Amino acid sequence: MLFKSRSIKLLLLCTIVFASCKKYLDINKDPNNPLTVEVSKLLPTAESSLGSALAIGNGTAGGLSQILEVYTHQMSTRESQDQYAYTGSGFYIGTAWPTMYQGVFENLEKIIKIAGPAGDRQYVGIAKILKAYGYSQFVDAFGDIPFSEANRLDSSIRYPKFDDDATIYPKLIALLDEGIADVTNATALNLHKPTTDDVIYGGNVQRWVKAANTIKLKLYTQVRKVQNVQAQVTALLASPSTLINATNESFWLPYGPNGATDDRNPGFGDYIATQRSNHVSPWFYETLKGYRPDIFTGNPDPRLPYYIYNQIKANTVTADPTEYRDGAFVSIYFGSRGPNRDRNQQNVISLMGIYPVGGRYDDGQGGTANAASGTGAAPYKFITYADRLYLEAELINAGLATGDARAVLQAAMTESFKQIDYVITTFVKPAQSVPAINGTAAMTTYINKVLTEYDAGNAAKKLRIIITEKWLASYGSAVDQYSDYRRTGYPVLFDPNNPAMAPGGFVQPPVNGNPQAIPQPAVLVQLSRPYPNSLPWYQTELETNPNAPPQKDLVNSFKVFWMP
Amino acid sequence: MFCILLPSSYSSNKNLNCMKKILLLVLFCLPAMIMMAQSRTITGKVTNPEGKAVPFATVTVKGTTNAVSADANGNFSIQAAPNSILVFSAAGFQNVETNIGNQTTVNSTLSTAGALSEVVVTALGIRRADKALGYSVTKVDPNSLLQKSEPDMLKSLQGKAAGVDIRTSQGTPGAATRIQIRGNSSFFGDNQPLIIVDGIPFSNDQVSTSNQTTGGTAYSNGISSLDPNDIASMNILKGSSAAALYGSRASNGVLVITTKSGSATRSRKGTEVTVSSSISWEKIANLPEYQNEYGTGANFLFSPASNGSWGAPFGSSHTFGLDSVNNFATYQAAYPELFPSSGRIPYKAFPDNVSNLFRTGMVYENSIGFSGGDDKTSVALTASNLSQKGYVVNSSYVRNNIGVGGATRLSFGLNIRGNFSYTRSTQTGGYFGENQVGGAASMFARSLFLGRNWDTELPYQDKAGNNITWNGGGQFDHPIWSAYNNVATTHEERYIAGLHADYNINKLIRVDYSLGSNVNSLDRREVTEISSRAAEGNGRIVLDTYKKQEIESDLLFTFSPTINNDFNLKAVVGNSINQRTTTRQVQTGNKFITRGIYTLGNTAQQIFGPIVSGAPFPPLADNFQQQRLIGVFGDVTLSYKNYAFLEVTGRNDWSSTLPQANRSYFYPSVSGSLVFTDALKLQSKILDFGKIRAGWAKVGRDAPPYSLDNVFVLGANFLGQPTATVANAANDPDLKPEFTQEIEVGTQLSFFKRRIDIDFSWYDRNSTNLIAPISIPSSSGYAQFFTNYGKINNTGIEIDLTVKPIQTKDFTWSIHGAFTKNKNTVEELIEGVERLQLRAVLSGASNINPYLEPGLPFGYLRGNKVFRDSATGALLINPATGGMIVKQDQEMVGDPNPDFKLGITNTLSYKGFFLSFLFDMTQGGDIYSVTVSSLLGRGVTKDTRDRLGNWIIPGVYGDPATGKAILNGGKTIPNTTSITTNDLYFSPNSLNGATFAINTATEWNVYDATVYRLRELTLGYEVPRKLFKKVPIGSATITITGRNLWYLAPNFPKYTNFDPEVNSFGATSTQGIELSAAPTTKRFGVNLKVTF
Repeated sequence: MLFKSRSIKLLLLCTIVFASCKKYLDINKDPNNPLTVEVSKLLPTAESSLGSALAIGNGTAGGLSQILEVYTHQMSTRESQDQYAYTGSGFYIGTAWPTMYQGVFENLEKIIKIAGPAGDRQYVGIAKILKAYGYSQFVDAFGDIPFSEANRLDSSIRYPKFDDDATIYPKLIALLDEGIADVTNATALNLHKPTTDDVIYGGNVQRWVKAANTIKLKLYTQVRKVQNVQAQVTALLASPSTLINATNESFWLPYGPNGATDDRNPGFGDYIATQRSNHVSPWFYETLKGYRPDIFTGNPDPRLPYYIYNQIKANTVTADPTEYRDGAFVSIYFGSRGPNRDRNQQNVISLMGIYPVGGRYDDGQGGTANAASGTGAAPYKFITYADRLYLEAELINAGLATGDARAVLQAAMTESFKQIDYVITTFVKPAQSVPAINGTAAMTTYINKVLTEYDAGNAAKKLRIIITEKWLASYGSAVDQYSDYRRTGYPVLFDPNNPAMAPGGFVQPPVNGNPQAIPQPAVLVQLSRPYPNSLPWYQTELETNPNAPPQKDLVNSFKVFWMP
Repeated sequence: MFCILLPSSYSSNKNLNCMKKILLLVLFCLPAMIMMAQSRTITGKVTNPEGKAVPFATVTVKGTTNAVSADANGNFSIQAAPNSILVFSAAGFQNVETNIGNQTTVNSTLSTAGALSEVVVTALGIRRADKALGYSVTKVDPNSLLQKSEPDMLKSLQGKAAGVDIRTSQGTPGAATRIQIRGNSSFFGDNQPLIIVDGIPFSNDQVSTSNQTTGGTAYSNGISSLDPNDIASMNILKGSSAAALYGSRASNGVLVITTKSGSATRSRKGTEVTVSSSISWEKIANLPEYQNEYGTGANFLFSPASNGSWGAPFGSSHTFGLDSVNNFATYQAAYPELFPSSGRIPYKAFPDNVSNLFRTGMVYENSIGFSGGDDKTSVALTASNLSQKGYVVNSSYVRNNIGVGGATRLSFGLNIRGNFSYTRSTQTGGYFGENQVGGAASMFARSLFLGRNWDTELPYQDKAGNNITWNGGGQFDHPIWSAYNNVATTHEERYIAGLHADYNINKLIRVDYSLGSNVNSLDRREVTEISSRAAEGNGRIVLDTYKKQEIESDLLFTFSPTINNDFNLKAVVGNSINQRTTTRQVQTGNKFITRGIYTLGNTAQQIFGPIVSGAPFPPLADNFQQQRLIGVFGDVTLSYKNYAFLEVTGRNDWSSTLPQANRSYFYPSVSGSLVFTDALKLQSKILDFGKIRAGWAKVGRDAPPYSLDNVFVLGANFLGQPTATVANAANDPDLKPEFTQEIEVGTQLSFFKRRIDIDFSWYDRNSTNLIAPISIPSSSGYAQFFTNYGKINNTGIEIDLTVKPIQTKDFTWSIHGAFTKNKNTVEELIEGVERLQLRAVLSGASNINPYLEPGLPFGYLRGNKVFRDSATGALLINPATGGMIVKQDQEMVGDPNPDFKLGITNTLSYKGFFLSFLFDMTQGGDIYSVTVSSLLGRGVTKDTRDRLGNWIIPGVYGDPATGKAILNGGKTIPNTTSITTNDLYFSPNSLNGATFAINTATEWNVYDATVYRLRELTLGYEVPRKLFKKVPIGSATITITGRNLWYLAPNFPKYTNFDPEVNSFGATSTQGIELSAAPTTKRFGVNLKVTF
């Protein structure tokens, strides 16, 4: 009996102890990560991610421009961008897609969700404008993409459907109008306003309005082959002050010089890369040099040392033979099958310079690139004032807007030069001394020669010059270049299968370009794929989303809706 | 005194009070129980006919279930009333019954016979007779792990236990070893067994600071801090039935280890001192056989900048041959005085340039053990030192351990035992990974594939200490420079403290209580020196501080009611409380201000967190995690006439990591065994013993902490602005526990008076509703969703076979075979998801990643393949290049899981001499090898020496744009496009002209990893005891050992001599991927063991 009663007491005691222990288990609130944050912490993430998703990279970071710079022949590489072979499982699509949907769109949705009810309409408006721009870039690159059901896991949509690309554009225009209304909403509470956390415009909402209107102008221009946009663009161009109208109003993402948290332009990565792989395309180089027989012939572009940095001097003897050399400039061809393509030349090849990626201004002295060669603080250019002018020139040229296309082209080119000085002094802030280019005699000579060529050309040639100059000015930001090419056919790109460009499949580097090998041998080039009308979708998206379409086929017949 | 062991820093007072209440309950209960004491304590010793102790014999009071087991030295202590009958039983001995009368000391001598009645430690320290078990438990003789010239205890277990799969990683000191029992039963996580040391869970985490794809050293895992010299017993609970009482973490099996200090037993002599000492020499197991006819370059043309030895032949007597070349520009610039003024150097081979990089390593191990005491009190102490210098310069592993334990019996019958051990280890070594990835600097980037004309006797740094290499260009770090300058140093400390008390309240009830804490702290410093190709050439330091504390409190009541002489019942009820707390901080400093000072203060830029290459949002690493679990369990065993046994267990857990509504979950097990030779009274001269067993069990498992809420993650500043982002993974607030169910059947048979013993098990294990992240499309806003889904199956067989062909007085020969076969299949994921990536390893051109996919083996390897003709399967060849065309989409290219493993140990002994050797083999399992790819692609081995001819890849012409064969009149066109030997191994075009080895489709670098090996060889001599009559020496044994003296991996290119027993991802579940790993070692050693 003694035992029995004791055991019952024990049991009772145990029960009481356990009952009071519920709280012992209530310790599962995450002490490391917040459940909610201020929108001012999300905005810089969304803005910087927008840059990361679109920028050039170097093997460890980067976005769509790392592919599209090759597709628009400003860059050449041995990697699979060569010969338009990039796949949906490639690294850069694999970074760009999640960076855009998770880093940009999801954070923007959260900003709208938090700032909306709080009455912080400026944040809401900026988020909508950024969202519209991000989507427009992805539609341009991929065509059909998740839009109406994207970023709605809160509403239990785990597998968003892919929307028809043509249906997305009108919604983006509407979103931009909403964004403009939000940022300019005079009755909003706006207890929290964006300031320095808005790394693009520092909370200057008037500039956001200008950016939104200019994005609209760009979108209308983009669809002009499939839709009459005369009324819309005329209305927008009628009041230039509502558009990006000065260099400092340009819509671009600044980068910084800090290597620890790494806020440098991802394209600067090639300066510090353990394996440099981004060559400057000989096609681009020859256009700048005036070597091309069909455009800007004999009109060397004074922007060259700002655009391209040569690691060697013109007379340097290289250990290994090079494929393409012109004095200090060393590169490889698109589609190359040459014997010297795969040689290790990483301290010999020419790199993107101070203007596109914050690298080094080429003073002719050479030197192996490294982290100290530049600051990496060049912005990624979404839409610059120069771009806005080129759009206007194109629209006038196409008869969709009124005005003097020549004068606008001249202003655009002048702005393109001015913008170089602005980027260097405002953002890059290099340690080396860099001369200003704006207003130099070389600049005037160059622009006048281009205008002479323009005057002599027919409408097609005029369009070609406008788009080619835009291509040159936007060096480093390739998404719109890729779109421009697909909708206008310009700039003319290198085609290994074109007998005029590569007779018999061989292309000839400058015969006397290499001081060691005179004459330089011609290089076998090939291309076995058609020009991609859009990029393949991110393979992982397709594999994890049952509502996704099958991957675009090998020959890639998917046309974005605005293509003629 | 209990409270001292409680966590104080992070528990709220409320929680602390709660824990205290439970402990106070125990404290109050104990005196109450003491007053209820009745029967007397009987002590004694169990010996064999030669007077040697019989360890772990079972002593039972006849007619009751009151049983204890003797300790390792045969000593026992049991509560029994006067005139009780004690039954002594032990493996290999006949049972003996003794009436104790009024004695309190009863010694027993057992005689050998055919009965199997070994006692094993099962879950929660419950000791049970082997014959009564309805599941398989493997008992490992700790002596088989000692003095084998192997500092890693798990490695010395290889090939010795059926059902246990042990895989090594890098060949450098301290590298993690993976142990896996019956396959992977969860999708992510390390899937390694729970390790219980002296009743307390022992964290076996591999703390990886850097990504092992792009760097990181050969990280060790927690078990490396366990001193094998201190192990008294090790039982491996393989199945869920065996482990069910451990609950949540036992779904991958359990290693139950008792240490000498933790068990504190007194030796036969009263006081004994054991001293053991060993010294071993280690070398790289094998180097490739190199060609010494061609230097660097391509297609017979010399190039000083090239990495491949495809250049000109040595000596102008050959066509294209050269006698001298311009000096390497880097060396000419750094040391002009070392070279002729002409600037020309002889162009010749350095046949030993690779072997010059490596040294003879050493392993020293010294250990002293002490045990002593009197009838009531015993103490044990172990102290040991292990010091290993690897074959790579500046790589080492040092471990110092001290463990003390004591046990005493108080006069009123309470037994108390306490132990404390402390281990400190230091691991030093370089970095590994795929050097081709941006920012990576692997120490083994070129070590095994040096240009044949590269002289490794030249300095490895310039006069300022900067890294220099032969071909310049910063493509890799000089291996020696790297070994001295890019170094990770890890200090790890582990404290184990435990207390155990037991008391027999009366004849019926016994109570056991134990409380223990296991604390593991790690401090790591990863340094990359200025001038490395990594860290932008500016230098970097990463500091990682990690601390894990685990506390466990277990209270058990054992009831042994008497039913009748045929039936025996024993019941255990208990409660277990567990708390795990982890803290971690990682900090990175970039750009050293000055050279040689490795502190954060000496860097120009600092950031919280590790370097995550390519990650869009680098995470900040500063976190705290805590989880708690309360369990209540019961175990009822019923036996009939000592030949039929039934065991039923049940456990209910309450976990802090699950939502309140799902926090409580119950899981049962049932198992039984029948000794049919006893039941049927078989009196066969052939079959001595036969038992069949079967078990079914369900084991529940909770979630990792903090996986219920959707959170934001704070990130690094951008342009000086603080940032946050939505987390990568969304969480399911309604998580439920996951369950593993397993059926196991087996048999134990013994023939010809135990000359042949067989233990066979078959099992089928299904894990369902697993808690894991599922990949969801990024367009949802998240990459992962953490929820319950899927199913994994493991089916396999395990066979242990012991044969003693010769057994005479002087000479015995025994053979032990251990066979393991496990099929690990992912059965289901979640609707809408085709497959999940197990780990992101390499994407892009050389694509290789492990995946999970329904119907396919766990962690199968996926990568690129080339196009084949759909009709004939012939390779499609691009007419423009003569190479193959790589498919865009990836496919399965290999299965890293072996078909089976087999280990055969032969032991021969003649008088004092003994010889044992272990052959083992791994059949099947694939490995992706960067080493083999590089050896071939760089043209350095004899495999590619004969290169004068051209080659035509057998196949038909295909169209790169369509991936289809080109037809001529409806027929395919055979390939006639020839390529050079250089191009055959170094693809001229990675997509449209792929060949083999470098820059090709993944499939060509995946090999079948079948390997045969002479794992262990031991020759020993035990000095006859009679020699020590006049000196205070008890025994002395000297052995010489060899490890990994020979292996054959028949499916690799002959001259690569590649040993596939390497892996770049340590003890993780990512297997079958080798990214220039450090090769395996072979060792010779001399060992001496003396007892006093």
